Amino acid sequence: MGNPQNRKVGHLKRVILACSVMEQEIRQFQNGKAEFKFFDYGLHWTPENMAKALQKEIDQVTEEAYDGIVLGYGLCSNGIVGIRARRHRVIVPRIHDCISLFLGSPESYRDQAVRHPGTYYLTPGWIEKGETPLSKFESYARSYGEETARWVLHEEMKNYTRILLINTGVSHMEPYRNVARRNAEFLNVSFEELEGQSDLFRRLVCGPWDENFLVVERGGSISQEMFLDL
Amino acid sequence: MRHPQKLENRPGKGREDIKGIHHPSGEPELGHWLNGLAQAVVMRDCKAVRELTEGLVLGGMDLFKILNQGLILGMVGASERFRRGQFYIPELLMSARALKIGINILRPLIREKKERVPGRVVLGTVKFDLHDIGKNLVNIILEGNGYEVVDLGVDVPPERFIKAAEKHEAQILAMSSLLTSTMGWMKSTIELLERAGMGRVVKTVVGGAPVTPIFAKNIGADAYCREATSVAAIAKGLLGIEENGQPSFIK
Repeated sequence: MGNPQNRKVGHLKRVILACSVMEQEIRQFQNGKAEFKFFDYGLHWTPENMAKALQKEIDQVTEEAYDGIVLGYGLCSNGIVGIRARRHRVIVPRIHDCISLFLGSPESYRDQAVRHPGTYYLTPGWIEKGETPLSKFESYARSYGEETARWVLHEEMKNYTRILLINTGVSHMEPYRNVARRNAEFLNVSFEELEGQSDLFRRLVCGPWDENFLVVERGGSISQEMFLDL
Repeated sequence: MRHPQKLENRPGKGREDIKGIHHPSGEPELGHWLNGLAQAVVMRDCKAVRELTEGLVLGGMDLFKILNQGLILGMVGASERFRRGQFYIPELLMSARALKIGINILRPLIREKKERVPGRVVLGTVKFDLHDIGKNLVNIILEGNGYEVVDLGVDVPPERFIKAAEKHEAQILAMSSLLTSTMGWMKSTIELLERAGMGRVVKTVVGGAPVTPIFAKNIGADAYCREATSVAAIAKGLLGIEENGQPSFIK
């Protein structure tokens, strides 16, 4: 209580740089202490561009009045590897990808992946801002014709056995449920829906940044090893 | 959007020849065609790949030259474009499909010519990982180079890798993973191989988009394969195969 430095930190704001697929889930914890910027899902297509885009943004946060820059990303196929904390520390959830955030913990994600390795995960944000097997097919068909698009999508998706829609509690689910079901029918796989958990999102925005988060101090950088349990 | 290269534009077209078979003659012409073959793989033009591969075979070019400096060089180009974000999965898959057409023409001829198989490889995607685009490309390229490949598919647990390596007396165990969450299974597999006392007999090679050289070294793999297209050269190195194509040393 008596530590003036802590009081000061308590008044500082933080910057949240996150993927647009989780915008709704993050914004529900908007509390006036965080500034948000959301990035296009397309950064995933070329992981090397992800680090560049995020680093550019991090480098632009030069004012002192922040207590950290929080990344709303997982390791994302090494997309965040090499990102350097400059003027502020960088905080990132210690997860492989955003599915852990939607499900509430890395353990829940691991449970799903072990029981159903062939799961294609969908959330309202993924359906709106990311991609689905059907949206991929439509995009491929526009470029290469339907026959080739079917072949490409089959090659890409042939080992998937389930579509899992995560209800993150921030949207009216019926329209998303319809899209997810249509995708399952299109792939001829099973469809399931699961309640997500918002706790990891809450901690991402509001703290505390406990053992589920990595705090990279000024001058440090993100490496793949920080995320692996070897 | 790129369009498949028109056959009319490909190098070598226009030469008068018997019965419509435009097989090249003379080194400069052959080189031109080889370049065209690599381009045809990049441009996903299956028909051109078939015609140029057959033409080069008929023209008497060395089969490994057609394979490595034509077909695989083209696939290297496609993979580089994919890495740079100029190609996406459809283009990569279509280039691989064109590559396979050419390799299927060469494979029986290479098999016929070689006195012995250079090596036997057990291949698979690790446990809880179902991605196989890169792994399948590795299979195509190894088979094209005359290797015997035992492809275990996807979601392969360590025990299955070890049993297959033992059963087929493989010299190389090749593992792929596309997820950072499944890469750890490569380590488990290498550890099991060691525990089974096969670590000195079977060489391990790991690859896949998230795998790095540091990771490969940390888990004790014998080799790291950055691109599927370089797997034949890596396998050669692991088996100590000299330029004459014969194994000189197998650990």
